[in-house]
Amino acid sequence: MVGGAGFFYRLARRSESDFFLAGRRLPWWLPAASVFSTHTATDTPIWVTGTVYQHGLRGLWYTFFSAWTSVASFVSARIYRRSVAFTQAEWQVVRFHGMGAELLRGWMAGWQVFMNMFILGWVGIAMGRVCELAFGWPVWVGLVIPSVITAFYTLAAGYWGVVMGDFLQGIVAIFAILLVSIVGIVAAGGPHGVVEGVTSLGQAWRLDSLAFTGWFSGDFPMAWWLTMLVIAVVGGFGMGTSIDWYIEAQRIQSAKTVRDAAYGIWWGGAITLLRNGIWAASILAFFVMAPHITNGAESELGWYRMGFELLPAGLIGMFFAAILAIHFSTISSHMNLGALYFTRDLYQRYWNPEASEKRLVWVGRMATAVLLVGSFFYGLMMQEITQWLIFALWLMMAGIWLPNILQVVWWRFNAWGYLASWMANLGIAWLVVWVLPEFHVIPVLPDYLQFWSLMALGIVIFVPATLFTKAEPMDHLVHFYLQTRPLGWWGPVRAEARRRGLLAEELKQTAGSRPWIRRTWTAEEADGWSREDWIAIVLSPVCMALIMVGAAHAFLAQPGGLWELAGGVVAGVLVFWVIDPKLKAVSVEYELQQANYLHRLEERMRWQPDTIPEGRAD
Amino acid sequence: MERGFVTLIGMSIAYVASFIGLGLAWYGWKRRHRDDAGGSDS
Repeated sequence: MVGGAGFFYRLARRSESDFFLAGRRLPWWLPAASVFSTHTATDTPIWVTGTVYQHGLRGLWYTFFSAWTSVASFVSARIYRRSVAFTQAEWQVVRFHGMGAELLRGWMAGWQVFMNMFILGWVGIAMGRVCELAFGWPVWVGLVIPSVITAFYTLAAGYWGVVMGDFLQGIVAIFAILLVSIVGIVAAGGPHGVVEGVTSLGQAWRLDSLAFTGWFSGDFPMAWWLTMLVIAVVGGFGMGTSIDWYIEAQRIQSAKTVRDAAYGIWWGGAITLLRNGIWAASILAFFVMAPHITNGAESELGWYRMGFELLPAGLIGMFFAAILAIHFSTISSHMNLGALYFTRDLYQRYWNPEASEKRLVWVGRMATAVLLVGSFFYGLMMQEITQWLIFALWLMMAGIWLPNILQVVWWRFNAWGYLASWMANLGIAWLVVWVLPEFHVIPVLPDYLQFWSLMALGIVIFVPATLFTKAEPMDHLVHFYLQTRPLGWWGPVRAEARRRGLLAEELKQTAGSRPWIRRTWTAEEADGWSREDWIAIVLSPVCMALIMVGAAHAFLAQPGGLWELAGGVVAGVLVFWVIDPKLKAVSVEYELQQANYLHRLEERMRWQPDTIPEGRAD
Repeated sequence: MERGFVTLIGMSIAYVASFIGLGLAWYGWKRRHRDDAGGSDS
């Protein structure tokens, strides 16, 4: 990869867009590979193992949050790609207006620079633990050396290096995951041996992914499962409803068309869930071989232990190379993403708006290096705090989950309401998670109740903040609507766009003139939301759930496993059959407009007056 | 330390970075409007 960086160095240095988005020219399979590779980090087998070891196959639902991509691919990814914003922070000034939008942009940029440094530290520490397990090296060696190697190609080749590396590393990772999982299952006596072993231990419930402990009681209540489904599936209508969104956002913008953006994150999410199913089957094999581990830190390393202890000597080197590959892919992505927020949203926007492209690439490289060094200190200092922060981040997402959706689907939601929700969330979390339970005003709540409580209390703050402040200017909203065509409650903005002659009147078709599934679209017709979109939105999460659970059952030769997988494939084929003609039509029309949108975005970056389109469809 | 309390310490650390970004945006906004009094905001 380091050698390959030289090849992409010349591409990356041309412009900020090349260094951070590969010039927006990637076919869908490259962002898809990058999504999968980035979300397969050294710490991922650790927490998936810990979860499945504790909960059996029902633990898979803890990982189902990745299914937000199943809906987002056909809703928010499409809208966000059309905004052409480089980052989620930049999206704020496309969606909102004035000082509120700027404050939101700064807020989100600061948050993301911190988050990427934090993730670099936590993933680095996981690598340190793996190297300690495999070779007895001090933790800092595994933290520092692999990350420095990654920095060479990330600094030189920017996002080009990241995605090309991710593609190769993804292939290596899939191969290693399959190999170690199969070897583990065989070592435990094969699929039937695993099933018999689990059953003979009196733990047959571990084979059932829906083994609930009651509606509201036990460690796997139905209420928690439903909450997870809502978070994942409904969250796909918004932006930022999962921490993973920010990585995907960069991949969405680097895709060459709206269609490529949608398929990029769909396949990335689907392969990630398929991977979790395969892992879960092998972790049950580990459970059969070592069923009495009570120390969580020890059981978490189960999958790695199978690799190092069961593979023949010649393959252990390959296994370690695969571990390095999954580490490189995650580290490189977060280095480049953190540098993007710093360069584009803080340095260029607020510090030096007139910076040349050459200088911006240089600042991007410096920011990458600074993030890396910061992550070393962070990783070494925060070994224990990491767990606190991960939980804190979960809570963080709870309080702003609904506002993250409203920013996309409700025209009246404004910058002040959104900013209020972010700020209030800290205080509300203090109350619900610590202060009130500490003084016995309320009991310590289970996770799912914390989520709903934080959401409800957030509504009390951000709805008045929105309604007692002005709506965003109609000129700005019309501009935004014409460019992105959001889904949801946008009636007044749509009506205003029509009144100005910027949007064609809606064509009312008689029921008989339209086939139930429409396969031919003009670009203008495809811009609207229709039955085909909703079919994709409903079938897509079903497809991903069946693939995840079906993979685990099929690897354990469980009755129904292959049927579940087949059902998932059929649902997936239907989704693409229904939605592909529409996405193609949207993409063709939109790409013709993209240069115009990018020009306007660049004007906005340089603080030049905004131009509102007059008298023509945009 | 108990889980709830350390969680909030973690959240507070994350918020510091956000407030720094917000402060920078405020500075950039004020500087822009000082330099370009009467000009259009974006």
